[in-house]
Amino acid sequence: MLDMKGIARIYQTDLVRTHALRDLTLTVNEGDFTAVVGPSGSGKTTFLNIAGLLEDFDEGSYLLDGENVAGLNDRQRSKLRNEKIGFIFQGFNLIPDLNVFDNVDVPLRYRGFPAAERKRRIEEQLERFGLTGRIRHFPSQLSGGQQQRVAIARALAGDPRFLLADEPTGNLDSASASGVLDLLEGLHTSGTTIIMVTHDPALAARAPSSIHLQDGRVVGNDEAAA
Amino acid sequence: MIFYYLRLAAISLRRNWGQTTLMILAIGLGIGVCMSIVTINYLMAKDPIPDKSSQLYYVQLDNWDPNRPAESPNEPPDQITWMDHQALMSAAKAFRQTGNASATAIIRKPDDDNFRPFLARIRGNHADFFPMFDVPFLYGTGWTSDAHRDWGADQVVVLSRETNDRLFGGEDSVGREITLGNPTEFSSNLFRVIGVLDEWRPVPRFYDLTSNYFSDPAEIFIPFGLILSQGLSRSGNTNCWKPTGDGLRAFLGSECVWIQYWTELRNHQEKADYMAYLDQYVTEQKEGGRFPRPLNNRLSNVNEWLDHENVVQPEAKMLLAVAVMFLVVCLLNTIGLLLSKFLGKSSEIGVRRALGASRGSLMYQYLVETAMIGFGGGLLGLLLTWLGLESMLAIFGSDASNLMRLDLNMVVAAVALAIASAIGAGLYPTWRACRIDPAAQLKSQ
Amino acid sequence: MEIGPIFRALLRNRTGAILIAVQIAFTLTVVLNAAVMINEQVSKAGRPSGLNEADTFHMQSEAIDTINPQVTINNDLRAIRETPGVANALQMNTIPLSNGGWSTGVRVQQGDDPPVYSAAMYMVDDQAIDTMQLKLIAGENFAASDVVWRKPDESGWPGRVIITKALAKSLFPDDSPETTVGRAILLGESPANIIGIVDQLQAPWTQSSQIESSVMVPQQFQTGSPRYLIRAEPGQRDRLMPEIEAQLAERERGRMIRNLYSMDEVRRRSYNLETGLAMILGFVMVVLLLITGLGILGLASLSVRRRIKQIGIRRALGASTRDVLRYFLIENLLITSSGVVLGAIMAVAFNIALVNAMNFPKIEWYGVPLGMVVLVLLGQLAVWGPARQACGVSPATATRTV
Repeated sequence: MLDMKGIARIYQTDLVRTHALRDLTLTVNEGDFTAVVGPSGSGKTTFLNIAGLLEDFDEGSYLLDGENVAGLNDRQRSKLRNEKIGFIFQGFNLIPDLNVFDNVDVPLRYRGFPAAERKRRIEEQLERFGLTGRIRHFPSQLSGGQQQRVAIARALAGDPRFLLADEPTGNLDSASASGVLDLLEGLHTSGTTIIMVTHDPALAARAPSSIHLQDGRVVGNDEAAA
Repeated sequence: MIFYYLRLAAISLRRNWGQTTLMILAIGLGIGVCMSIVTINYLMAKDPIPDKSSQLYYVQLDNWDPNRPAESPNEPPDQITWMDHQALMSAAKAFRQTGNASATAIIRKPDDDNFRPFLARIRGNHADFFPMFDVPFLYGTGWTSDAHRDWGADQVVVLSRETNDRLFGGEDSVGREITLGNPTEFSSNLFRVIGVLDEWRPVPRFYDLTSNYFSDPAEIFIPFGLILSQGLSRSGNTNCWKPTGDGLRAFLGSECVWIQYWTELRNHQEKADYMAYLDQYVTEQKEGGRFPRPLNNRLSNVNEWLDHENVVQPEAKMLLAVAVMFLVVCLLNTIGLLLSKFLGKSSEIGVRRALGASRGSLMYQYLVETAMIGFGGGLLGLLLTWLGLESMLAIFGSDASNLMRLDLNMVVAAVALAIASAIGAGLYPTWRACRIDPAAQLKSQ
Repeated sequence: MEIGPIFRALLRNRTGAILIAVQIAFTLTVVLNAAVMINEQVSKAGRPSGLNEADTFHMQSEAIDTINPQVTINNDLRAIRETPGVANALQMNTIPLSNGGWSTGVRVQQGDDPPVYSAAMYMVDDQAIDTMQLKLIAGENFAASDVVWRKPDESGWPGRVIITKALAKSLFPDDSPETTVGRAILLGESPANIIGIVDQLQAPWTQSSQIESSVMVPQQFQTGSPRYLIRAEPGQRDRLMPEIEAQLAERERGRMIRNLYSMDEVRRRSYNLETGLAMILGFVMVVLLLITGLGILGLASLSVRRRIKQIGIRRALGASTRDVLRYFLIENLLITSSGVVLGAIMAVAFNIALVNAMNFPKIEWYGVPLGMVVLVLLGQLAVWGPARQACGVSPATATRTV
């Protein structure tokens, strides 16, 4: 369970004070597929970064799986991120120097699994997403859809509790995009908790529930009919 | 994890091989130039006899011209006269003492007409010379200090190992005979071998700094008195401040200095006692009209004496400063290249952070990569150091060959310096890389 | 294009710029000081000795079985002088440039406690001036009758001597050297008269500060190991060297001929340290410039790569390729200029430290600006490639989001 109460994030420069988030309160339960929707500048990305422990917040409290995140040091946050959270990005963010196998391997390395366990998990994930034949390919040799599938495989390899997706279809053509969405829906059906950030209401409509952000605040909560 | 990081480093270095080559080249060249010059400085300045250097004292007595010092501002001459040598040796006030001087002679084997005679460097010294300077023997011994032998009544020699190889093919030659001939006065005399030295080449040749002290030590050692009684040709420096008169007798009675005098004094008390003896001796001599200058005797231990004689040339010190600056430039270069390398990896750093890498583990990963560059640079630097020393040997000739040796200390130091410099150079870029805000990198793609 | 915006952009990205500037500063420090050192060493190693070195060589006979050295020496000299291709020959006690020899203190006879000058003593005969091709600028040469044999253990000096112009100037600072012929001097304690002045004949010690002070005395040294200095007719030297060696060995078996060297070789050996030092410093200098150039190139190409988008935007806003090129050249100029200014200060400080610590040459006044210009040009050259690369960026880059 992901539980945020009264979260505020303020960016301070010499001249300007910007509230990226103010008094954000939301809960995502086990097994949810929630879309976070809003226009540019509404605080979506800041929310995602805070939820994913990439960024700190200034006010409020954030419980991740019941653990209070505030006050953790870099090492503890990294460990939590590694164990509980999987990221999917708009730009895929595969490491160009590493092949598909090694890319999926990255989070498992930081987890400290033994070699056999890592190999089993990587092969399992790649098979699940139909990438077995691409195992030695480098990211530059793959199509956009394939790259995003590798990224999803990498995100899931460590069995995270939450999948955070940031405009996962933003860089894809419509065919690949719908393929990726089908995948996410399939994952949801099989029990994965997904939080998807997007500016596209049509995309958000595919998620069973959605949260609307504007100017750093929650402005609406949809429990869309399934 | 270390193997994972090593593998990642290898991948990263291979994928940017141009940059990698440039960095290894920069570090390697820096280390190579720096270590070549450091090696020479190190060998010049190295303590040639570390166990005893603080107990061996060089003696200087100021018998010079009343109107001007032997060396400005007020230095006594760097050698002593025959008369003072006689007096100091006979008094034997130190724990051990020896005068020594160099000569040349033509060496022949009396029982072998096919042997080609050669000109050898001879050192005349007293019995204490060998135990004082820890001279190692392969066969036989030196002569004993019983006064009769020490002044050279017996015509005995001690050969260096190389000379023994040349004369007797390296076999135990104790008891064999050779002749020493004067190159200018057509005399030659039979000498019996009583000892052969093992490998012994103190660098610098601290016991005689009056001529090229980076060349090899003497080839043959003989009792001091024989230099004169056998009429060998003296080859060291002789300095006089007033006319001597004609003939050997006049020369020996003159104020000309040509003998180097060493003492072994085991503690401060012995040193103080010996200094007092020297002052008393000179004061007595003053009554006889000698030593017109104010009392100015010196006792310098080995390192003080090396320093006094400027064994490390000022040019070498200048080269050292230049070499260090060279290394600094190479390191600044490496910092720049590493900075650009790691900052170019910002997005990878962002991804790794998102996937659970802590700052510490990234720091570790990149330091492993830097250390690998350092290791490559170290190996190249070692090769270049060796090449550098070889080419300096080619430039300076074999006189300097003792200075152009790469010993194990220097090999270890070169690699350690390379890795330390690379990691030193890598610290700032790595730190910068780990400070990168992952969120910004992930979005910007 | 104005410098202001470039400068302000630089300030926002300081690290790379500072690295290059400091690197350039150190490079300039090393290069300037190495250059003066090289210049000094090379000119020291190239100083004329006063001899005709090109045609001259020397050798030493270890006449170990000789009964009477005088006869052997006279026979040797006669035979050498008669050999076809030999211009002249001479027995000497030591050879110029060879770093070993005799010296004595020379002073004028009048006044009390006149200063003493250390001078090299050359024992020669009446053929010395011709053999070495010295220039006699005043007075006369020795007569054959002046020349006497000197015993090995003899001290003291003969009464007629020829000295060098430099020594004459030291002894008689108020008179022109040509007018000092006939003056009385003391060689050690031996009185002597100057009968001639030669323009130059260096002492054998190449490291001596009084290398131009020499005295020739009309004496032949009675020794079992005489040294001969031989001048060949032009072009004959290399043929004669082995020929005369063989001839001497043949004429008296059992002697050893040693130290057969041309004067060129003697000079090379004696100035080994100087030429070696110059070579090492030259190498260091060239490699350093190369490394600095490559460093600038590396960082510049990185900064171009990082700014692809920015360059695209500039192009889209109307910058021509020339403007882009100029941007990078000016940026580099700003960095190197600050580097060379810092470097000039460091170089002079290092130079002052060296001058104080040892006998080190000063940097000439024009050296500093010259070095600064060279390094600025090096920077411009190194940045040229990456800057050309920047010019190739298409304006369309600006509109792409990735």
